[in-house]
This record gives sequence, structure tokens and C-alpha cells, in this order.
Amino acid sequence: MTASAATNAAARPVEAPEVLLEIRNLEKHFGGVHAVSNVSMDLRAGIVTTLVGPNGAGKTTLFNLITGHLVRSGGSLRWLGRDIAGMKPYRIARLGIARTFQDLRLFNDMTVEENILTVMEPGALPFSLSGPSAREKRAKVEHVMERTDLIDKAHVRAIDLAYAERKFLSLARIMAADARLWLLDEPASGLDPNSYETFLRLLREEVAAGVTVCIIEHNLDIVVGISDRIAFLDRGRLLADGEPKSVLENPELTAIYFGDRA
Amino acid sequence: MQAYLLNLGVLISIYSILAITLNFIMGYAGIFSLAHAVFFGVGAYTGALVAMSLSASIFVTVPIAMVVAGVLSLALALPALRVRGEYFVAASLGLQVLAVTVFSEWKSVTGGIGGLIGIPPVDLVGYQIYRPAAFFPLSLAVLVLVLVATRLLVHSSFGRSLTAIRDSESAAESFGKNVPLIKTISVVISAALAAIAGVLYAHYLAFINVESFTLDTSVLVMAMVIIGGTGTAAGPVVGAALLLLLPGLLSYMSFLPQTQIGAIQQIIYGLGMAVLMIFRPGGLVGRSKAKARTRPKDPDTEAQAPASRPAEAAR
Ligand SMILES: Nc1ncnc2c1ncn2[C@@H]1O[C@H](COP(=O)(O)OP(=O)(O)O)[C@@H](O)[C@H]1O
Ligand SMILES: [Mg+2]
Repeated sequence: MTASAATNAAARPVEAPEVLLEIRNLEKHFGGVHAVSNVSMDLRAGIVTTLVGPNGAGKTTLFNLITGHLVRSGGSLRWLGRDIAGMKPYRIARLGIARTFQDLRLFNDMTVEENILTVMEPGALPFSLSGPSAREKRAKVEHVMERTDLIDKAHVRAIDLAYAERKFLSLARIMAADARLWLLDEPASGLDPNSYETFLRLLREEVAAGVTVCIIEHNLDIVVGISDRIAFLDRGRLLADGEPKSVLENPELTAIYFGDRA
Repeated sequence: MQAYLLNLGVLISIYSILAITLNFIMGYAGIFSLAHAVFFGVGAYTGALVAMSLSASIFVTVPIAMVVAGVLSLALALPALRVRGEYFVAASLGLQVLAVTVFSEWKSVTGGIGGLIGIPPVDLVGYQIYRPAAFFPLSLAVLVLVLVATRLLVHSSFGRSLTAIRDSESAAESFGKNVPLIKTISVVISAALAAIAGVLYAHYLAFINVESFTLDTSVLVMAMVIIGGTGTAAGPVVGAALLLLLPGLLSYMSFLPQTQIGAIQQIIYGLGMAVLMIFRPGGLVGRSKAKARTRPKDPDTEAQAPASRPAEAAR
């Protein structure tokens, strides 16, 4: 079922876009809990995939497996054909996979500006010898702060920001990171309607600019508005993977989603 | 009187260098080391041995001492930084105990308990500097250099990486930061800079033994950092000055029974530290209200966020 649904979603363009990330039979057990269980799916260039499913379904765990923060119990992960399972998170990040965290994990004692600047400086040397010049980096930081409405807060520490600003700083960091694939863990949860619109606009702009997004999101309005494809997880298993309509109109899935399972 | 003040000035400069270099890893990388006196000692012994056998030029002793201390610090950093923070504290304590044994037992090199005597005065482009009136400006100049160097580092991309790792290790690595490597480099830099204080100390006293490099010294330097203000620029210097001035100030208070001055000093230390940590947890120079403490640090284990039901999220 998974494979056919995936090709459906990608079938509209003349040719299916290239597969960035290939997930096959992925498994993660915590003791007796099967947090991720035999999950196979492809993330294709330019396609916005939304992961939905009840709390505890294994969505965040799936992200953690992709980014190397958790080590898989079985299965394979390939980035552009290359095996990345077992690689350290910083190496996977350098391949072009960036993420946000459900609990944000901002660099709390650093200013907004420093939070954004530091993600552009992955090197370990005290003074970078290659890469963009200090001035280019500052210009990019300015640009990202303007787009996320954080320019007035440039010198405010992350910990002192309001909730919505913290969410936008989390986005600003990933925007500065220059990654090809974004994994967004509930980036819009708890946003007020205005912030919400800003968030959607930013996301559309980034997708148009060529970023591939996989997003965990509970709000079905967003899901329908921006997704090319929905993957439905429950208790670690991928129950459906296809066009938004076909997944959302499946009464069995909505029953699970709204919690009135038998 | 003047000699007394100059002597105090030299010691404050030397301990300030130690506090600044410990603060570099404690305040910016979140690495708590109880082995800082080891690198102070390695610097002192190396500087003394080089001065006695090769050259007393500061441009020879200091670089060699820095390299030796930096390389030895890898013995601590490489194994200990791959695991969680608490293990580093334990490993550093182990290294401190081990080092004291080596300092006191490796008689052919360190002179054992008796230590090394007759260390020649430091040579600065041909001038022998031993009188306190000349040594104080030298130690002050070195202090300023170390302070400037660490400030530059803290405000470089490296310093930002360190702070990012301290605030959230998992977020830092998901933005491509090689956490163990960056932490290791910071420990090496800290140890190498601490060795400079050791070289100055050996030349200044012309005599060193293990007693200056024990756990007590490591704890004292850590207290200087915490009291002054962890993660601040001026805090370590303020902390070093305060803790070194305190004994002198107490002995001027003639109403105190002079025979028990040692005990009174300990009581004032203890009480002062407890009161300070209650009212100014960020240290004397730190932010009066350490706001970071009022909000929990982002946990490095995945937290379960409150359920955001579709209906709620649509508000
Ligand atoms: N580090 C962990 N250790 C043990 N169990 C975990 C860990 N992370 C997640 N789990 C468990 O795995 C399951 C899936 O969790 P998670 O991926 O966070 O769900 P979701 O993000 O879909 O709400 C839950 O039962 C959770 O308790
Ligand atoms: Mg989650």
C-alpha cells in the first residue's frame, strides 16, 4: 500500500521527482515499546509531506532516527542513495538534513542574532578559513530576521522571547542552515492566527525556493493547505501514505485520529 | 607595605589567569573541571625545568609549557568528553588525585615533596625580572593578554559554538557541530593558557612543590569563578582578587582574635559563599537574577509536549 500511494502523490508531474531520503523497514524499540515499526517511505525533492497521527504514534521518534539522534533497531535509511544509518547527527546534518525540535531547544542564553549566526558556522576551528565572509553571514542573518519578524529582537536573548517569537526563532535557525530537507516537529502548534499566517507564507516561500519539507502537524487545515502528501502513523506503524484527501477521508483513520478507537 | 601590595598584585594576576581559563570552559562550554590546578602545576614544573636546563626566556618557557599542558589535557578530554557531563567532573577529580601523586613521587623530575629549588628569574629580551616592582607589571601584562585572547575566542564562531553546545547539545549537533571535537579543543586551550600562570608562578617564587597544585587549589579557583560570576568577562578577576584579599583584610581587623584568624576566615568564606549563591546565583558580576534558572533548560531527552488536539490548534 505504501509504495503505490507514494507514487500516486508523485504521479502528477511528468516525472517523479528524485528521491532524497529512502526509508525502508525502519524499526525502533524502546524495551517492549515499538515506537517505530516497519516503516517504509520516500521523501522526494520538492514534495511537502505531513506526518499525522495521535500522540505517541512515533512521529518524533521517526525524526530522531533520520537525524541520528536515535540509533535504529532495524531497517535502512538512504540519503541520495547513500547509507546514513549509524552516522553521527552532525554528519547527517552536514549532508543537508536540518530539523526543528518539538520543545524548540533554542540556544537560550544567546541572542536572536547569535542563535542564527551560529548555525551558519558548523566548523570547529576558532576562526573559519573558508566559507562565507563575516559580512555575508551578517547580511544573511539580517535577511532571515527580517523575514521572521525578529529584526527588532536581534539583541534579545532567546530565553527572554515570547512564545511565538521562540517558535519563529526555531524556524529562523533552520532557514539559515541551508539544508535541502527540513524536518519540522510541530512548528505551528500554539501559534495565534496572525503568526500562523506568517508561518504558512514563510513555508510556502521556502518550498517554492526548493526546500523539501516533512512536517509533523496536528491542525488538519494546515495539513490540507500545504501538503502534497500525508503519511499517517499510529503506534509506530504507517497506516496510510498518499494524497491528503484520500487519507483524510478515510473514516477508519479519522476515528483513530480523534481518539474514538474501538 | 609596598612589597606586600606588589606581592599580592602578582598573586592576584596569576590566580586571575587561572580563573579566566577555568571560566572559559565552565562558563562557555559548561564543562566543570576539578583538575585545573594540574595544568597550573604542569606549566610550573615544565617552565621551571626548561628555565633550569635550556633557557629562562619567557618566549621559550611559555610555549613549551603550553604545548605540554595542552597535550596532557587530551588525556582528560578525549575519554571524558565522549560521555555525559557528570563523568567529566569525576574524571577530572581522578586526574587531579593522580597528578598530585606524580608531582610528589616522580622525584627525578619534580623533586618529590621537596620540589624544585633555584628556579632562575624570568628573562624578557635579556632583562632578568625578579624584583616584585618589575614582576608585577609583567604578570599584569600577561593577564591582560590572556583576558583579551579569551574574549576574542568567546566572541568568535568557536565561542558561539561552545555556548550553543552548552545551551543545547542536541540542537548544536543537528546544525552540524562536532560536539566532542569542539569541547576537546576548548579544554586544550584552557589547559594551555593555565600553564602560562604556572610558568609565571615558578619564576616568581623560584621554588615550587606539589602543595601549590593540589585539589585545594582547583577548588579555590573554581570558587573564584563562581563567586565572581561564571560566564562573565570580569567575574573571574573579581573573584580572584576578592578571595586573595580576604585573608589580608581579616588580619587588619585588630578586634579579631589573631590566633583564630584561620578558623574565622574559613567561616566567613563559607557563609559568604552560601549567602552569595542565595542572593546572587550568577555571581558578583553576573546578572542579578539568573533568569535562565527560572525557565527549565531545554531537555536533551525528547519531552512529550502537551497534546495539541486539532480543535485547539485551530484557534
Ligand atoms: N527516548 C525514549 N525512550 C523511551 N521511550 C521513548 C523515547 N522516545 C519516545 N519513546 C516512546 O515512543 C513512543 C513514540 O513517541 P514519539 O515519537 O515521541 O511520539 P509522537 O511524536 O508521535 O507523539 C511513545 O510511546 C514514547 O513514550
Ligand atoms: Mg512528537
